[in-house]
Amino acid sequence: MRKCLVVGVMLVLFVVGALAKVNFVSTQLVPAAERQFVEGKLLPEFERIYGVAAKFLPLSYAEASNRIEAEQKAGKVVVNLYADLQSNIDRLASKGFLMDMKPYTFKGRTFIKTLEKYAYARGIKEFIPWLQATYVFVVNKKAFDYLPKGLRKEDVIYGTEKWTYDALLEWARNITIKTGQKLLGFPMGPSSLWHRFLHGYLYPSFTGAQAIKFDSVRAVEMWEYLKKLFKYIHPSSSTWNSMDEPLLRGEVLLAWDHTARIKNAIVEKPDDFVVVPVPAGPMGRGYIVVLVGLSIPKNAPNVDEALKLIDYLTSPDVQVEILKESGFFPVVEEATGYIPEGALKILAQGVVNQSKTKDSIVAFIPSLGPKGGEYTQAYRVAFRRIVIEGEDPASVIKEIGEKIRRMFKETGAPIPYPDVELY
Amino acid sequence: MGEREKRDWIPLLLLLPTLIYLIAFLGYPLIETFILAFTSDQGALGNFKRLTATGEFWEALRNTLLITAVIVPLQLGFALMLALFINMKFKGYTFILYIISIPLALSDVSASLMSYTIFAPMGYLNKLLMNLHIIDRPIYFFGFTYQTREFWVIVLTEVWRATPLVFVIILAGLQAVNKEYLEAADIFGFSRWQKFTRIILPLLKPSILSALLIRTLFAFQIFGVVWLLAGRDIPILAGEAYYWQTEVNNSNVACTYGLVIALVSLIISWAYLTFLKPGHLEGEVTE
Repeated sequence: MRKCLVVGVMLVLFVVGALAKVNFVSTQLVPAAERQFVEGKLLPEFERIYGVAAKFLPLSYAEASNRIEAEQKAGKVVVNLYADLQSNIDRLASKGFLMDMKPYTFKGRTFIKTLEKYAYARGIKEFIPWLQATYVFVVNKKAFDYLPKGLRKEDVIYGTEKWTYDALLEWARNITIKTGQKLLGFPMGPSSLWHRFLHGYLYPSFTGAQAIKFDSVRAVEMWEYLKKLFKYIHPSSSTWNSMDEPLLRGEVLLAWDHTARIKNAIVEKPDDFVVVPVPAGPMGRGYIVVLVGLSIPKNAPNVDEALKLIDYLTSPDVQVEILKESGFFPVVEEATGYIPEGALKILAQGVVNQSKTKDSIVAFIPSLGPKGGEYTQAYRVAFRRIVIEGEDPASVIKEIGEKIRRMFKETGAPIPYPDVELY
Repeated sequence: MGEREKRDWIPLLLLLPTLIYLIAFLGYPLIETFILAFTSDQGALGNFKRLTATGEFWEALRNTLLITAVIVPLQLGFALMLALFINMKFKGYTFILYIISIPLALSDVSASLMSYTIFAPMGYLNKLLMNLHIIDRPIYFFGFTYQTREFWVIVLTEVWRATPLVFVIILAGLQAVNKEYLEAADIFGFSRWQKFTRIILPLLKPSILSALLIRTLFAFQIFGVVWLLAGRDIPILAGEAYYWQTEVNNSNVACTYGLVIALVSLIISWAYLTFLKPGHLEGEVTE
């Protein structure tokens, strides 16, 4: 039965392969509405402009990886364009299945350097950056009235060296003193992404790594800092799972969350908010990027046509079209110029400003498979025990650090960025 | 003979769809729950050891029992008072009956959200008090530092939301009380209190038992109201099961929580049915 299915799928793909010049496998833009956008708008437009037929093949992570691998092993390559997360592309590139993209350049766009550097590994350029998603800070413009001494509005908006976690602490303290209220908010509810702030933002900013320095001396300093900041965090934070509502209700003036979870606030009241980069810590400005790249499998047919599709998909106006239809942001600097004034522009400007900061430390979510939940739980438990229950940071992180190391060992998961750069 | 054999099979055949339904949707998940709860790297009881080793489990158990112990007597008391009041059948009592029953139509999510809009920092209550210049800053009801306030908001929401269910059951029981008993009591010169304690209450016992059983089990499985209003500030058993399943992706620990809830529910039901078994009115009166 299974054999029949595989043969069937192969047949379909073969027929499709024979018809289209570009067979575009993607693990992104898979949900029905996004898929319809790609098939009904994006690709027909490409065919019209470039005169090249393209077929979109949305697959799951496992299916896409298996497909590329199977074709390479069989020596019969049909898929000639493959879009996936950086970590998955890197895994296939490590097996020698992907082409070096170094020789190819695309006119009229500047790829954000911070993101593009992750395309280079193992002596080749594994992919061309395509899309990104991340987590940012949202500032209600009223909060600028309470800026602490030495910190300007522009420092915050462009993420200069003055926009640090110490400055955030001063700012939050200032707001509390002047308004009598705690107006800095984080999503700390049970279904929130609070753990991402801990492992992808604070840890890299204070220790330079998200996991391997979990129980370092600098980590103790980080937890001591968080205890101080906690005094100025809105007490209802522990019940919030996303920050759009608290921002809209005016319960907080400063908030951090995933771009998709604050989008509503910006869309509803674009004049009230600014999206800004996250602050920097002693080691730099740590933040998580969900990076999607485009790569071409080795020995793929019609490489020139596949390159044309890359050219099209990374062009600034198409990047903006994708932003409008999905939660993904552009990876080329010129794209901001194509975004109409309003909510999307505010959001995209914040994301691009964050990726352009010189002290960026990009963190990728580790691929721990079934242990992923336990990994994030470890950071949440550390937070609860140290900050809420007041346990000694050094002993708590020593105990939990041991567990985190074991998770990587047991799953065999590769050490994620930025940790891997410390080796 | 053959005809008779055929007839014997018919009831079983009629039962078959129900049986298949029960096996598929109750039996199979139950067996899977047992298997998952007793599967771990540290032996069959590994998940239970892991559970009891964490402070969160004991806190969740304590909170769940505490919420049940506070909510159920309050709901029973209010429901009994309201049912007696409505049963007086004064003019316009049906209107009041509908008003009391409104929360029956509300889900726990809607009730929680309504409650949140009242007690939130920028909610109705705070705005009212600030506009009346009684306070100059909002009073916080939610968050880890205000667990006691959160607890009482949960109690209030749950009492408001679920009392009508107890009320309807008791009112139905009250309306089924045979008037002849009460008329006889009048002839024998019973006071109102005597009629209530010696006739109405004993006759209401089956309704009270049903209401108590339903409400206690529901209160023990409380989830939506606590989850929405307090998150994990006030951990509860059902919330922890959900958290381990959806956030930590550990079905084994989640199922262990599920089994603990089932076990405690069974003990509660057994205790109710054993200790609150209703007797016959005649028996009660002659005693």
